[in-house]
Amino acid sequence: MRGSSCRVAVLVCVVALLSSACSTADEPDADPDVATSPTAAATAADDSVTEATQAPPNADADDQSDTPSPTSTDTETEPATEDTGGGGGGTLVVAISQDPGNLNPAITTSGGTHTASEIIYNGLVRYDENLEIVPDLAESWDVTDDGATWTFSLRDDVVWHDGEPFTSEDVAFTFEEALLPFQSRMAASLTGVLESIETPDEQTVVFNFSEPYGPLLQQLHVSDAPILAAHVYEGVEDIQTADANLEPVGTGPFRFVSYAPDSEVRLERNPDYFKEGLPLLDELVMQIIPEDSNQVIALEAGEVDWLWGAPGPDLERLEATGDYEFLQTPFNPGGANCIMTVSFNLDRPILQDQAVRTAFAHALDRDVYLERILFGSGRVAEAPISSGIPFAHADDLDMPTFDPERANTLLDEAGWVRDGEGVRMAAGVEGIEDGTPLQMNFLSFPSFADYGEVMRQQLADVGIDLTLEPAEREAFIERVFVARDFDTNIISYCNQTDPEIGVRRMYISSNIQPIPFSNSSGYVNPDVDALFDQARSQVEIEERGDTYREIQEILVEELPYYWIVETDAIRVYTNRCSGFVPFGHFAEEASCEG
Amino acid sequence: MPRQAERNAGRGAQWLGAALLLVIGVCAFLAPLIAPTDPFALDAPVLQSPSPAFPMGTDDLGRDVFSAVVHGARASSVMALGSAALIGLVGIAVGIVSGYLGRWVDDGLMRLTELVQVLPRFFLAIVVVALFGPGLDRIIVVLGITSWPPLARIVRAEVLSMRSQEYIDSARALGARTGRILWYHLLPGVVPGAAAYLSLAVAQVLLIEASLGFIGLSDPTVMSWGLLVGNARDFIRSAWWLAMFPGAAIAIAVLGLNLVADGVVARLTRRGGSGVAVSTRSSHSAA
Amino acid sequence: MSARYVWRRLLQVLPVVAGIVTVGFVLVHLAPGDPVLAIAGQDGDAAYYAAMRAKFGLDQPLLTQFATYLGNVIRGDLGTSVAQGRQVTTLIAERLPATLLLTVTALVVSSISGVIIGVFTARRHQQTADTAVSVLLLTTYAAPVFWLGQLSLIVLALWLDLFPVQGMVSARSSATGLSRYIDIGWHLVLPVSVLAAKETAVVARLLRPALVEQLALPYARTARAKGLTTRRIVWVHALRRALLPAVSIVGARVGHLFAGTVIVEIIFGWPGIGRLLLTAIQSRDHPVLLGLFLLIAFSVIIANLITDFVYTLLDPRITYA
Repeated sequence: MRGSSCRVAVLVCVVALLSSACSTADEPDADPDVATSPTAAATAADDSVTEATQAPPNADADDQSDTPSPTSTDTETEPATEDTGGGGGGTLVVAISQDPGNLNPAITTSGGTHTASEIIYNGLVRYDENLEIVPDLAESWDVTDDGATWTFSLRDDVVWHDGEPFTSEDVAFTFEEALLPFQSRMAASLTGVLESIETPDEQTVVFNFSEPYGPLLQQLHVSDAPILAAHVYEGVEDIQTADANLEPVGTGPFRFVSYAPDSEVRLERNPDYFKEGLPLLDELVMQIIPEDSNQVIALEAGEVDWLWGAPGPDLERLEATGDYEFLQTPFNPGGANCIMTVSFNLDRPILQDQAVRTAFAHALDRDVYLERILFGSGRVAEAPISSGIPFAHADDLDMPTFDPERANTLLDEAGWVRDGEGVRMAAGVEGIEDGTPLQMNFLSFPSFADYGEVMRQQLADVGIDLTLEPAEREAFIERVFVARDFDTNIISYCNQTDPEIGVRRMYISSNIQPIPFSNSSGYVNPDVDALFDQARSQVEIEERGDTYREIQEILVEELPYYWIVETDAIRVYTNRCSGFVPFGHFAEEASCEG
Repeated sequence: MPRQAERNAGRGAQWLGAALLLVIGVCAFLAPLIAPTDPFALDAPVLQSPSPAFPMGTDDLGRDVFSAVVHGARASSVMALGSAALIGLVGIAVGIVSGYLGRWVDDGLMRLTELVQVLPRFFLAIVVVALFGPGLDRIIVVLGITSWPPLARIVRAEVLSMRSQEYIDSARALGARTGRILWYHLLPGVVPGAAAYLSLAVAQVLLIEASLGFIGLSDPTVMSWGLLVGNARDFIRSAWWLAMFPGAAIAIAVLGLNLVADGVVARLTRRGGSGVAVSTRSSHSAA
Repeated sequence: MSARYVWRRLLQVLPVVAGIVTVGFVLVHLAPGDPVLAIAGQDGDAAYYAAMRAKFGLDQPLLTQFATYLGNVIRGDLGTSVAQGRQVTTLIAERLPATLLLTVTALVVSSISGVIIGVFTARRHQQTADTAVSVLLLTTYAAPVFWLGQLSLIVLALWLDLFPVQGMVSARSSATGLSRYIDIGWHLVLPVSVLAAKETAVVARLLRPALVEQLALPYARTARAKGLTTRRIVWVHALRRALLPAVSIVGARVGHLFAGTVIVEIIFGWPGIGRLLLTAIQSRDHPVLLGLFLLIAFSVIIANLITDFVYTLLDPRITYA
């Protein structure tokens, strides 16, 4: 795959059995944000995204938007016995890397919590397999012409796991008491523009904005806005420490049975699930296994059935056995549509010269990162906005490509002269003392040290001396976003499913703040600021797409950042089980034999 | 007769240990000659199993593992010598001062020793590296300034026993200054015991650094065995050589240090000295 | 052992405890970075971060924070996890049983096997078996823990399929009662073996020379001349004396076991405090880091105290005023 052939398809390469076309050599790993190992599994630390969405929007593959036909699934399961049907699909054991800590995904963006708990809940909407927004808890919606008032009609046949009916009160409660105060992403984007939430009746919710607000639907899937049961939190003083967070009550396909910290989370089929005939699995167990390589061993030993990701070479080995299936997706456990991105600190005189930034870009052979670090699971970045957001992604930009000759020429012309193979020195560079070596430091999480390693070698070829400075997450944040004491760095910026959420923050000048993973380069361009505001207020998705395209052209021209690779995760599961989807409620329609 | 046999066997082991350490020392000292390849160079094909061209295989980025292991001996040697120097300095100083001056100084220093001795070193190292970022320097400092208590006690005991001996008194009677007495009379008496303890303590330092590497807390800019071990984690099943060789290097270094220490202890015991004390104290802080 | 000795020993511990609390607190608070950033995620705004900081008292002066903390520790309150919003004592309590099961079992196993191997080698002093076992012990001692762990995991659990690979219970079985205990025991074998291996070596290596020394003493020869069996001399007379150095390090061994358990828990997916430590490092959860640090240090202190008392009882030669 490499290159073009699959590239676009990958996104929805969705079921790409690794074996088939899409993957041959790709092994995944790397989760972008996830730490250390390349593995995908739900780990913890991340970089950029700290958190998040582990599994993404909820898209279940298939058909039904809202009323699933009972027969809609694959599987060989036995007929439903009771209630709304489903069941008979056996037990699925899933390996997760991180202890969830709590099981309330509405008050945190922690990847550990989201991985383990999203399947217990639902959002108002979800993504289908084409990444289109389709109804989930909401049946339908309307937006006024000015784009500032959104009205949702909710399903009337949904009950919570404890039997209480689901109503609009739950939605209002979730936003007002949980998401807006405690979920940083929601707080950052809605605070200030969301004026009120009204509940005229039990089946209707109205969001009133102070100005047109286009991206709302993209923020209402289960990963970003899981809906909590208001009655469970009644009388609770502090929702963050509520006991209910450890005994979650949701509307989702599986309901909570038990949680043993650092050991396992047990869920069972929700017999009253509003999608008829689902889910099929009787039991879903999440076993916490911290080491990625040992997750693979547990899979091979048959102790677990599903991994969120695995080290690249292991995938090749597993593929060769023929006993496993694979699913490639840009939805990483730490966030969706992540791009490994180099920031140039634009406060630094050396890097203020665009020629230096462009030469830097031309010096990098980005295929090497894709092949050696990601083991092929991902794509070389073609644009500032991920190809996983098709409406906003611009695919034919004039992005600098690997061309060391061009890099050398640019640097020579800029006054950085080179004697033989050594490091270049300034000779007549404006604002820089002659004889200054072309040196810059490069901050990264230790887990991304491999990127720095490759970059240092590639830049040395054109006479740029890169000094690697690994920094633990907190020290990294401190130096990059608070002290702004760095030259270059690498961050896995996850674009999420809408540029308003995951892209805007990197570029707008008002976001040059001591906030983690904000505008790391310190990029200021009033035109870009204005265009982002314009995009947010456009309700028609095509119009927004055009605006984002305009933004990307400017960004590629000015190069405040350089976009290296888009990272994918590859899920692995035993072929005893089937019916998975790459994001959202991944196991809603899954079942296992034997 | 059996005593003689044992002595020989013991010596053999001791020499074996010294030889192992020598090998590592030579690697560290002559690394660029033994393994001319830059250990960070990405020039080799990736994940090659060991072959004549790459005696220990290559890693996921195309780096030569043999070169990395050889250069890693440098980091280990720096850590070993650095922490040994710190431990030796603090331990011997505290022990001598405490034993020689006695009274409230002794009381105070022994309280301090007790405090430091119960500090969980491995946890302290984890916390420090996790909070302040990875680096050989902080590993040396943390382990150096937490590993001296057993040494201080060994030294103090030795000083106490020597103090009661007559020649110290006669030296003082002859007008020797305290510093002189310490340097010429006390120091030589404690060196063998200190050396035995130090080599055991250094072995611990190497093991702790390896464990930190395993948890992913090694400095990625310095080639060290711990770093290699950490990098190998994801390739346990697919590339055994990545974990095998650095692990073996660590084991060899620790083995060598222990054999040498055993030899010294055995010799001290035969001399009727503090051999058992050393081994007890050492295991106290070892492991 | 007089009551006065016990009291004095206990009193001596107080400054040590205070020192440890101080060391931990100062260290965690000197570090760069802000724990709030670790939990609040990347997309919050300044007001949001300020609110979180105030909520956890991180905006107070360091000295105030320390005074508050010390008071809380004395009351047994280790604070609230910044990342999880739950009591640190609760988080530790949830995982401590698993860790204790692992470490106590390893302590017992290594003590027994260490003594058996020590006696075995001392009695075959100088024979091939002695040398072979000594080499084996030394190798075990020198091998890094993760090495032994991964190796036994792959060979014994995966290839030979003798033991489970990960965790403390089987995810697929929801067994209760006796079969659950058997399941746990089965999962316990590999982690305990790895954890105990090194400690076994420590004990045996300490015991062997002491035992050899005892057996060479005149009383042992006399006893043999009087017709006592070698076995009786070894196990009853010599061992009691030779054990003293080994007993004296039990406290320290507890510390090493806790250190070893971090690695072992990660490798075998064992749900103990080592795993909590790792998570706390990743999210820079100060209260949890501090709490764990204190827990380990206090455990070592207590183990040392007990060791001292036991030692005093065992060794009639030692008298304390």
